[in-house]
Amino acid sequence: MDESWAVVENRSVLVCNGAAEALGVRPGSALTAAWALAPQLRILPRDAAAEAGALEAIATWACQFTAKVSLEPPQGVLLEVAGSLRLFGGIARLMARLRGGLADLGFEGQLAAGPTPRAALWLARGGGETLQALPIGAIGPEPEALALLRRIGVRTLGELMQLPRAGITARFGQGLLRDLDRALGQAPEPRVFFVPPERFKAQLELPAPVMEADRVLFAARRLLLQLEGFLAARQAGVRGFTLSLTHRHKRSTVIDVGSATPHRDTEHWQRLLREHLGAIVLKSPAEAIGLEAAGLAPLAGAAPGLFGDARSEAEAWERLTERLQARLGGAVVHGLATHAEHRPERAWRAAGGVAGTDEMPPGPRPLWLLEPPRRLGEGEFVLLAGPERIESGWWDGDDVARDYFIAARGASLAWIYRAREGWFLHGLFA
Amino acid sequence: MGCLPEYAELHCLSNFSFLRGASHPEELVERAAALGYSALALTDECSLAGIVRAHVAAKEHKLKLIAGAELRLEDGTRLVLLATDRGSYGALCALITTGRRRGRKGTYVLARSDVEVCAGSGLLALLLEGDAHWLAGHFTGRAWIAAELHCGPNDRAWLESLRELSSASGLPLVAAGDVHMHLRSRRPLQDALTAIRLGAPVERCGRALFPNAERHLRARVRLAQLYPSELLAESAAIAGRCAFSLDELRYEYPEELVPPGETPAGRLAGLTAQGLAWRFPSGVPQRVRALIDYELRLIAELRYEAFFLTVHDVVRFARERGILCQGRGSAANSAVCYALGITEVDPGRLSTLFERFVSRERNEPPDIDVDFEHQRREEVIQYIYGKYGRERAALAATVICYRPRSAVRDLGKALGLAPEQVERAARSLAWWDGRRVLPERLADTGLDPASPALERLVTLTGELVGFPRHLSQHVGGFVISRGPLAELVPIENAAMPGRTVIQWDKDDLEALGLLKVDVLALGMLSAIRRALDFLGMKMHQVPAEDPAVYAMIQKADTVGVFQIESRAQMSMLPRLRPENFYDLVIEVAIVRPGPIQGGMVHPYLRRRRGLEPVAYPSVAVQGVLERTLGVPIFQEQVMQLAVVAAGFTPGEADQLRRSMAAWKRKGGLEPFERRLVQGMLERGYRREFAEGVYRQILGFGEYGFPESHSASFALLVYVSAWLKCHHPAAFCAALLNSQPMGFYAPSQLVQDARRHGVEVRPPDVSVSLWDCTLEDGALRLGLRMVGGLAAAAGARIATARTAGAFASVEDLARRAALNRRDLRCLAAGSALAALAGHRRQAHWAAAGMTQAAGVLREAFIDEPALALPPPGEGEDIVADYASLGLSLGKHPLALLRPRLSNLGLLPAVAVHAQVHGSQARTAGLVTCRQRPDTASGVIFVTLEDETGCVNVVVWRDLVERQRRELLGARLLAVEGRIERDGEVVHLIARRLIDRSSLLGQLLVPSRDFHWAV
Repeated sequence: MDESWAVVENRSVLVCNGAAEALGVRPGSALTAAWALAPQLRILPRDAAAEAGALEAIATWACQFTAKVSLEPPQGVLLEVAGSLRLFGGIARLMARLRGGLADLGFEGQLAAGPTPRAALWLARGGGETLQALPIGAIGPEPEALALLRRIGVRTLGELMQLPRAGITARFGQGLLRDLDRALGQAPEPRVFFVPPERFKAQLELPAPVMEADRVLFAARRLLLQLEGFLAARQAGVRGFTLSLTHRHKRSTVIDVGSATPHRDTEHWQRLLREHLGAIVLKSPAEAIGLEAAGLAPLAGAAPGLFGDARSEAEAWERLTERLQARLGGAVVHGLATHAEHRPERAWRAAGGVAGTDEMPPGPRPLWLLEPPRRLGEGEFVLLAGPERIESGWWDGDDVARDYFIAARGASLAWIYRAREGWFLHGLFA
Repeated sequence: MGCLPEYAELHCLSNFSFLRGASHPEELVERAAALGYSALALTDECSLAGIVRAHVAAKEHKLKLIAGAELRLEDGTRLVLLATDRGSYGALCALITTGRRRGRKGTYVLARSDVEVCAGSGLLALLLEGDAHWLAGHFTGRAWIAAELHCGPNDRAWLESLRELSSASGLPLVAAGDVHMHLRSRRPLQDALTAIRLGAPVERCGRALFPNAERHLRARVRLAQLYPSELLAESAAIAGRCAFSLDELRYEYPEELVPPGETPAGRLAGLTAQGLAWRFPSGVPQRVRALIDYELRLIAELRYEAFFLTVHDVVRFARERGILCQGRGSAANSAVCYALGITEVDPGRLSTLFERFVSRERNEPPDIDVDFEHQRREEVIQYIYGKYGRERAALAATVICYRPRSAVRDLGKALGLAPEQVERAARSLAWWDGRRVLPERLADTGLDPASPALERLVTLTGELVGFPRHLSQHVGGFVISRGPLAELVPIENAAMPGRTVIQWDKDDLEALGLLKVDVLALGMLSAIRRALDFLGMKMHQVPAEDPAVYAMIQKADTVGVFQIESRAQMSMLPRLRPENFYDLVIEVAIVRPGPIQGGMVHPYLRRRRGLEPVAYPSVAVQGVLERTLGVPIFQEQVMQLAVVAAGFTPGEADQLRRSMAAWKRKGGLEPFERRLVQGMLERGYRREFAEGVYRQILGFGEYGFPESHSASFALLVYVSAWLKCHHPAAFCAALLNSQPMGFYAPSQLVQDARRHGVEVRPPDVSVSLWDCTLEDGALRLGLRMVGGLAAAAGARIATARTAGAFASVEDLARRAALNRRDLRCLAAGSALAALAGHRRQAHWAAAGMTQAAGVLREAFIDEPALALPPPGEGEDIVADYASLGLSLGKHPLALLRPRLSNLGLLPAVAVHAQVHGSQARTAGLVTCRQRPDTASGVIFVTLEDETGCVNVVVWRDLVERQRRELLGARLLAVEGRIERDGEVVHLIARRLIDRSSLLGQLLVPSRDFHWAV
């Protein structure tokens, strides 16, 4: 059986998939109740930003059909198509194209056409052919207004229209009548049209982490389709784009795809991307992908010199670190900071720049620790001070139980410990 | 061994230093005794909450216990104070009280000056951190510097600096351990507690954790290696100066209840005589007279007069205020209590003598709990505070302990699990899974119990469960003393403003022989008082032993009746067939987890029906068990059996009783098993009999009912049954007015009343009061039934109506100052029908009240009335349930009946007609899901339809397989087998089907059907 999942907001289920419904989970269920029914239910918190992003992605793509696109958050996108019908061969063919395009982008939608934007919106929400028969919920009234309408037995838009207008205004405010008039075309509805962004940037969370190149490609295709819509609306192309793969705990993988001449065709870019993906091996699964494209117009690429323009003496130290890191690799050049931990080997950390100013450990600690500690034979050292007992770390499976001593061998001072396994040298005092 | 040094641990925290100490007081005591310590001081942080448990354990292990406390003062000074005698103990209690009363619940605030005040009391002080000169100046000769060595970075240097401080300040050094756990193996738990305290995952707690596990009770041989011998010797010397034991605490009763010139005994005798004259206007029966004389002599001998006077005073107050109350508990069913009006159980009405009154041998304090009407108990509490003052009266504490779910939540966070994982792990413990964390439950929720993090969680949870977490107030256990209570036990702030609690719970009080008066709340008393008020009667006027009442009870026609209304009780009634009051006493006691688990029920039933002979192994046993046909049913009988058959002393039998109450939590009954079985064998009883008695004791556990409790409850059973039998409308109205209480929701109570011929009328703004009332014998629902309506609004409606009937919704709103929300509630409850017509119109009218622009008051617009189409029957019923929690229209299932019949589902009445063993299918609204403690994994479900109820039994494997249907369905269909025992019918489920979607068809789609169950 498929994994069951649900999008959750305020501890109740907003939407869930078929597998979850089969177990009895329903939109509106309390999360605790959902868990009781489906203990393995995967919970996705509602992500308003992602939803807004999805709506904008659709709008960006839809700009290829008309310049008059407007958003109706959280779920609607309105297209004014009267002027484009001829171009696209009539309303039926246009809607088929929209439906197919949405599916390619990975969305499911309910489409409807109407004489006014509001009528189209309501019909899309409620289904059916006429406004009269529309269920009252489809007009999206405030929850309180909806509750009152239901209490007085009003179920359809038609029934609502039979109530006295003054009575409606008194009970529901001006908004409801105004919306009604707009839907019926009796009042104008000014809309703010969507302005697509200047550069293309889109992100896609993958439903499950992905290792295989072809599955990355499949997901990237959706973004490329969006890009194509975006470019089509501008009658432009790009010379390249950047695909970035996000991994957990790892730096993103970045793939630059370029082409000698501008293109916007998804197939073209997909072919090129396939080659790029074939050339790399993912070290860890990708959890999200992002696509960015600029360069609708050429950019001047002036790279400043890497070294040699140290403008400030005060920055010299950081410059030095940067240069060392650039030459030797970022990982091997770092500062030291203390870290609040009892286990000595974990009581310090690599720090970006100069040493941190954390509290110092309570006892004498050598600056240099052996990693790993070196096992000692009998009688190599003379014990000078101790024991300092350290027992800590059970929570990460690396529990230690050691008695530390400061010990001398000849002129050098060592930090040694006794554990269940014997004696070990852990560090040398300078 | 002889060369081991003497050592007394003087600085030791238990888990009553919440989220610091990682061991129970009992564990610390036991371990200290095993290590041969000469004494142990329990020094919880500003608390004596654990001291009584430690005291009890110390007596058992013959260890000297010192009472003390660790304190952190505002200026950072940390010290330990130890009590040497009763006076210094009192000073310590007072100091802790001062600090605790200043802080928010769970915190304290103390300054140096507070400590200085009690410097002269004889307290000893150990400095942990701070100004030695200050301490030396105030505690001359009675202060030390605690040298606490824990294998730190440089113990030698540390000790050296302490020596220098010692010679500079003149304070001697003493060895101490800063003990946080009894064994070093508690280190992970101690670290986890630190993490919980800091609210951070343990891996991020860094050096807030202790660097090692040295803060445990260390072996003396180890201490000898770490400490100079004179420091160890000093600890024993200090312990030698602490001579105080909690055994010295003597409770002193308040004095003011005895008028000047009178003795307590004389006062009690006088009140008792007055009471007898009131109870028995035509003369006191000889038997009662003899009882009274015996009881008064015993009370005088044990000097318990003040206790009875105290309880009498509280009860007298309640009676004057017209608050119904009744006592129960071991002493409550004495003739003296009857005479004093503390209970209504006429000693002459019971054929049996109550054996357990107050026992001379055990010298245990008498036990009287008084139940009051639940809605008026607060008046009684305020009376007690007012009479004795807050210095002398306080509520006992309830120690809130970690339970599996809270332990998993806190530990999960401490272990750094993701919030969702923690929630999931906690949720995996369903309400029927009990106290354990089961790895397989975790696995069910998609967590891997074999992962190290989860393994740690399971292990630590096992240790943490049962740890005290905070002190809360006991539901009503008052401690009242003659002098300031704060010198007996520390008092701290409770969460509720103005409430204070002492630091001991009822077990602690009992262990020390201190006395408390339980002021409890009981909903049924409210209901009985209200019903009697309707009838203009008093409780003692209810006729005794009415056969019609018993006939009703025998039919299990007991919805709403006290105690015997539960499903388990109802299925027992037709088998037990109670015929008189004592049968009710048994009924109340026998349908309890104790007797059920002890296997007492079926033998008793068989004997009562004459299916099994009643035989006694000896005359002595016959004396104990004859009244219950040879089957021990009451707690007292078990104790008496131990005395007469196994040779226990009464004191030992009392210990047995306490252990019975605690063995599920603590174990420890095994020594009694040996003694009991051995004792019975020696006295010539057969092993089979002896082991049977022991098994029954185990079953009793903490659930056995004493006979005296049962008798008090049985009286309420009888009175409520009498009311139901003869005055069903008044009874139902009283129950509705006393909600929430009892086993049944208003819907079931009203349906039951209607089945008994009571006419029930809907709430109506033109006639209803806030409460339900009687209207020419019919029951008029009150506005209190209207969901969401505020009591004040309801009262205003009734008041405004006295000036004349309301002309319209607008008139109503104006005169009763109702807002739009009030009107909406009334419309939803169909209470506006007289003014606005059907519910849809009422809603339209109610919503017509709007906020006029610029005006603060809401007003109605001027508009013609609107005729809306009336709602359908289904819509109306659903709306009724949503607002009122019940419907006076048809039962929802009556509307669905044709569809249910098509599905082959029988109504309840037809199910009850089925023969034993046949197959049946039915469906009903789920009104109750229950998992009795006694039935392993079984869930009982009650289904309701328009003809009645069906009791469904779902066995454990089906529970697991059909969890979804069981938990989710509101309308549940069940296929199964009929199990019939006389008139008692159960349906043993084989398959469950969720038919909730049918309910939706009563309505327009998309509207949810919310049941107020």
